[in-house]
Amino acid sequence: MKLRNIILSLFTAAALVSCDSFLDITPTGKVIAKTGEEYRALLTYEYKYFPKDRYMTTVRTDELLMDKSKTSSTDLDAYLDLWRWKDEDPSPTTSYFSWRNYYHSIYIANYIIEHQDEISNATRDEVEQLVGEAYMLRAYAHFLLVNLYAEPYTHCQPASTRGVPMQLEADVNAIPASSSVEAIYQQVLADLAEAEKHLTVSAWPEGENYRFNKVSVQAFFARTYLYMGRWNDALTAAKSVIAAHGDLEDMNSSSTLPNSYKSVESIVALEKFPSNLFTVIDLPDPDFISLYRSGDQRRTKFFKRVTSSTYNLQKGGDDAFSCSFRSAEAYLTAAECAARLGNTADAINYLKPLLEKRLNADALQTELDLIQPMTADELLQEILDERARELAFEGHRWYDLRRTTRPALTHIYDGVTFTLTPEKYTMRFPTEAVEANPEIERWENQ
Amino acid sequence: MMFLLMAAVTLFAQERTITGTVKDGDFNGEPLMGATVAVGEGKVTKGTVTDINGQYTLVVQASTKKLTVSYMGYESRTITLKPNQNKYDVTLYSSSKGLGEVIVTGYQQIDRRKLTAAVSEVKISDETVGAVKNIDQALAGQVAGLSTVAASGAPGAPMKIRIRGTASINGVQEPLWVLDGIPMEGNEIPAIDNLNDIDDIYQTSIAGLNPSDIDNITVLKDAAATAIYGARAANGVIVITTKKGKMGRPVVNFSTKLTYSPRASIDRLNLLNADEKVGLELDLLRSGYDYRQHKGGVANILDELGEFATYQTGGWDALSSEAQQRINRLRTINTDWNDILFRNVLNQEYNASISGGSENAHYYASAGYYDEQGTVKGVENNRYNITLKTDFKMNKILKIGVSLFANQRKQSSFMTDTGGFTNPVYYSRMANPYFEPYDANGYYNYDTNVQGRENEVPDFNIFEERANTSKERIDRSVMAILDAELKFNQHLKLTSQFGLQHDNYTMKRYAGHDSYAMRKAKAYATYMIDGERKSIFPDGGMKRQGESNTDQWTWKAMLEWNQRFNEIHDVELMGGTEVRHVESELLTSTAYGYDDRTLTTQPVLFPTESIGQRYPLHEETHTENAYVSWYATGSYTFQHRYTLGASVRFDGSDVFGVAKKYRYLPLYSFSGLWRAKEEKFMEAANWLEELNLRASYGLQGNIDKNTSPYLIGTFNKISVLPDNVETIIAAETAPNPNLKWEKTKNVNVGLDMGLLHNRIRLTVDYYYRRSTDLISSRQLPLETGFAMTTVNWASMENKGWEFALNTRNVATDKFTWTTSLNLGFNTNKILNETVAENSTYPAREGYPVGAIFAYKTAGIDADGYPLFEAKDGTTQTAAEFFKLNRFGASTLTAEQQRNLYTYMGTTEPKCSGGFINTFELGDWQLNINFMFNLGMKVRTQPSYSNTYFDRGLNTNHDILHRWVAGTTDTSGVLPALLTSTTARASEYTHFSEYNTYSMLDLWVRKQNYCRLQSVRLGYRIPKKYLTPIGITGASLSLEARNLFVIASNYDNYLDPETMGNPYAQPIPKSFIFGVNVNF
Repeated sequence: MKLRNIILSLFTAAALVSCDSFLDITPTGKVIAKTGEEYRALLTYEYKYFPKDRYMTTVRTDELLMDKSKTSSTDLDAYLDLWRWKDEDPSPTTSYFSWRNYYHSIYIANYIIEHQDEISNATRDEVEQLVGEAYMLRAYAHFLLVNLYAEPYTHCQPASTRGVPMQLEADVNAIPASSSVEAIYQQVLADLAEAEKHLTVSAWPEGENYRFNKVSVQAFFARTYLYMGRWNDALTAAKSVIAAHGDLEDMNSSSTLPNSYKSVESIVALEKFPSNLFTVIDLPDPDFISLYRSGDQRRTKFFKRVTSSTYNLQKGGDDAFSCSFRSAEAYLTAAECAARLGNTADAINYLKPLLEKRLNADALQTELDLIQPMTADELLQEILDERARELAFEGHRWYDLRRTTRPALTHIYDGVTFTLTPEKYTMRFPTEAVEANPEIERWENQ
Repeated sequence: MMFLLMAAVTLFAQERTITGTVKDGDFNGEPLMGATVAVGEGKVTKGTVTDINGQYTLVVQASTKKLTVSYMGYESRTITLKPNQNKYDVTLYSSSKGLGEVIVTGYQQIDRRKLTAAVSEVKISDETVGAVKNIDQALAGQVAGLSTVAASGAPGAPMKIRIRGTASINGVQEPLWVLDGIPMEGNEIPAIDNLNDIDDIYQTSIAGLNPSDIDNITVLKDAAATAIYGARAANGVIVITTKKGKMGRPVVNFSTKLTYSPRASIDRLNLLNADEKVGLELDLLRSGYDYRQHKGGVANILDELGEFATYQTGGWDALSSEAQQRINRLRTINTDWNDILFRNVLNQEYNASISGGSENAHYYASAGYYDEQGTVKGVENNRYNITLKTDFKMNKILKIGVSLFANQRKQSSFMTDTGGFTNPVYYSRMANPYFEPYDANGYYNYDTNVQGRENEVPDFNIFEERANTSKERIDRSVMAILDAELKFNQHLKLTSQFGLQHDNYTMKRYAGHDSYAMRKAKAYATYMIDGERKSIFPDGGMKRQGESNTDQWTWKAMLEWNQRFNEIHDVELMGGTEVRHVESELLTSTAYGYDDRTLTTQPVLFPTESIGQRYPLHEETHTENAYVSWYATGSYTFQHRYTLGASVRFDGSDVFGVAKKYRYLPLYSFSGLWRAKEEKFMEAANWLEELNLRASYGLQGNIDKNTSPYLIGTFNKISVLPDNVETIIAAETAPNPNLKWEKTKNVNVGLDMGLLHNRIRLTVDYYYRRSTDLISSRQLPLETGFAMTTVNWASMENKGWEFALNTRNVATDKFTWTTSLNLGFNTNKILNETVAENSTYPAREGYPVGAIFAYKTAGIDADGYPLFEAKDGTTQTAAEFFKLNRFGASTLTAEQQRNLYTYMGTTEPKCSGGFINTFELGDWQLNINFMFNLGMKVRTQPSYSNTYFDRGLNTNHDILHRWVAGTTDTSGVLPALLTSTTARASEYTHFSEYNTYSMLDLWVRKQNYCRLQSVRLGYRIPKKYLTPIGITGASLSLEARNLFVIASNYDNYLDPETMGNPYAQPIPKSFIFGVNVNF
């Protein structure tokens, strides 16, 4: 019975063969991050898909028009009700601001912070930089959320006003409620301070400069304090940005626009001008364009005149236009804070380097002559206008309007006039978020 | 003792010789070779075997009164010997109506007398199941405890099959299908609501099997039967055994079926006719309801003539006579969409087989062709099958079997839009009755009213779409099985089986230049390029081709040992291992600027990288899984009466990112059988043929492979900024470190009884299944960063009774009448549920898993807004009921919101079953086959939305019963169409933003139905006509399927079975003519 023995022993051997290696299959493309490179890839995903809401807020400002005959119906479907502030009852096709995407970024940021000691194949500096960027990302996401979905810090009692939910742990089982506006701001500041301790890279090479670097901490501090109305702190932070990264694009000679990631001004080139939004934004309001005086290079370089009253936008529509923080903002913030603190001379000094790079020689002189004699209030208004001119269509206008006077803008569509009321400067929470977690809405009962 | 011996010797002298022929009743009376003819009844003694001509000769003692004739798989017959007759011809029929000798479990063949488990067998033949297109349809109403629901009546649409209710919530709820011992891949069916796109016919691998190749199906129901299949068997197992050759001369069989299906009438939908629709539009234009107010034929005319505002302010009389005339003309057009989009069809099926065998080899070969045309014009489905099966006895110990199942299936239809409205079933319900698809010159008219969410739609005409787009799916499958059996001696046997399954499909989609699909694709891909708005797609069409391959191999090896000690102790042991590997890949490529005449394409020039990444031209995926299992079973039988059995299985599988300790979970069962009739004290009960009691207990389990305790990501390549391609890891699946195995404990108690010589056979089973740590997906607060996760969520019980009653009511030589009734009663209850704190939908604790909750309404108020009945009995508006804030969001806590709901019923049938009657009179045979599902509720879609009713579409008559200004008597009146008003802004926002409206109790309906599945009349042509022309047997049949359905109210729906899916094709009526010939 030789055959039987052979078969039996084969059978036994087959049955006992170790199966663990047979079962060790890594699914194609799947990974559990372990190395520094893989943690970087987790973070890169968040940068890539970071919400472009800041650009979409432009639709709600005075920067552009919508017109029954000129705007395409796809754009009307998506943006008309945002533009005319029809928030209670928007058409179901209306685009909406993000929610979960922010919190996914926050989750990954928290995940990196929590796992920083387990990252392999990375130098100490690389790990520190990753952790620093994670704090920055977490702060930036919370900052944008609170400025979209909660009352402006400058127009409410921050400590007792509902903010947004705050997530400081990578925990899928959490059922968060909303924190106060004050708490969110304090956390942003705390995260920035923490980020500063970790970040190691001062400047990223072109193409990778969407990542947070050391300079961006102060730039972000400056913006946060500005939105809080803490002028001294904002001024200090803006000054340190100017000291570290004061380069400005000379629009008299350069053909690179300052909001391009290739510009010398670029500090963080994270948020990309969404290409599908470009077409709708491509109808700048002629009234807004009239803010630019003659000799201002921006008037012709930011906008292309098509007919006597219509313009095309030039600073969008291309992937190159990616910008979250750039030098010019620091000059404008410093100038505004100085003016608000009454130091008009300082304010003009901060504004001048920017004007030099934006206006031709004649216009510069005219402008300086105009602002030298101004009172602090007049100068402040001029600086705010300058801020609108410089940062036009980069998603700053909405936030600047809501932190300052919340003006009652009007939009006219098809003969009907719509007015922006102060409460509409705050978006309501997305329905899908309230449906998934009713706790976030419950502040009004408290 | 001495006396007895003496008597025997004396009797020995008186012998007689009995002869005769045994015939195969299933094979047109062919001689049956190898049948056993033995002396006695029950406990037989001496016997013989029939020869190649089915003849036997047996010398018996004169005192012998009875002979038993038996053949494996056939019902045994007893002959009562008469004094003066020595020739007895016997016809045996297969055991479909009764019970077989052995039960095929896919691993073993178990002697029925030792069967401890709850199983049901269905013999597959035209007589038993009728003319079914697919094997899953054959099971409808045949097995107690197995419920089937047709997802759609589309050609090739799969059946949703549940065995003993739902045991698992997440993912797979389908039973495991096993073909000749090899589990098959690819039989998951998408949830019913994913089947909106009915032309997208879903293909399961069982759809490739030709029902005429199948001999029988065994359904394994309790743990004692399924534990050996491990984790995949948690929802039951369906074991398919295919036909094989029988000893004897070659038999050639040819059969054909011609099926006629008339198009279904859509009168049941109660759609508005042109006159009513025009009236509705005119009313709405003056009502202030302004959603899509420029839609509809009336508004189109008014806009064209510039009289829109005139009408809104001045009404009908203010209109010009031209406008009045044109609007009145609309009322007179009644396009019959059903007539021009659907058709009557004639389908064909042909099968041919040859089978036979000798002492050492058997063979079966068949070829089949099946062609089905959908009642939707342009939808077609066909199938070619080839099956080869042989087995050889190589020598005394080795037997080898080889089988090959190959098929090709092709489905053709045209492209349907993701929004679904180019789907003809949907379109026929939505298109306006006054819309004419062609103008006076025969050119296409474009329908601008039927559209998706967008306000602007590219030109659409359903006939143009049908002519200029196509979708084709070709499936090719091969399943090869190699069996080897080494029988060392009569006690020890080694068997091994190797199965290879290869499934491939090619999916081709084509949208021509002149099609809505292409126009829409172009509009969506419009960007600013060089200061000009244009589409990135070149002129021409689009061609997308997908290629998918799934390969699995399974290798099984088992060692079986059985021995009988002292004639009363039977021991059987089996142990084995199974290794399985599944690999699949999918490749999709897309080309634009496609010209179907020259088969050429144009390059796409993407303006930027990030736009290019949105339109991948080539995509590939690859997945691979491996499984290793060990299993063992054993049984011990004492005195042929008492059997104890046990089985155990360890399943191991690759689970990426799971701790090794979670890789294996032992699943096991214990069972017992008592054959009470074999007891001495029962011997006297002549009326009782058989009485068996069975009991089993077992553990089944399941693990979710997609959830890991770790954060698992997927690599991809992208560029954040131009010209810098980087690696990213997308981690969009929430990790859950606490996920455990889902476990089901299964108790089964059963009784099999045969009365009055098995003229009445009754099987009763009671089962109790308790599932703990059930896995389900749960909505997460979006603030966690994720939308969903998978958790161990609940425990649940299923318990129920199953009855299968088979009776031979009349059995004479000329006429027989048999009845088969099977009933399953299942009650399902969630025992506890960790409802997510954030959930606003109630927990189902104490309710069935299919529980439907809805808001109790209390009619409507004076503005036509729905009123709610609060728990305290008061009537409240939405604002009061939900305590709305000014954004229309409820300020109640999640828990308070949960408590607003009321339980309405369950989606699972409380009772399901079948009732089958067979009459045979001479050569005539009549089968009548009912199936029913009772006690269900279904949540239907609202007839119209109260905030987004789109007047561009047609709808059913419910809209005419809505509240309108001036309605005073609100009883029976449906909610008004709402517009945003300052006074009730928050309520309006609530209805438009939240799905409260579809959660009203108004839309929950009863679902009970009994369907006359099949009526079939068969006629066997008598031999005297056939023999002269060389035919050994022939039969004709005429069958009507789905003649009628009796159901609770299903107004506005075509069929009670598909109420949950408004776009489903109705289950068609069909008439089948069949011919079956043997040579």
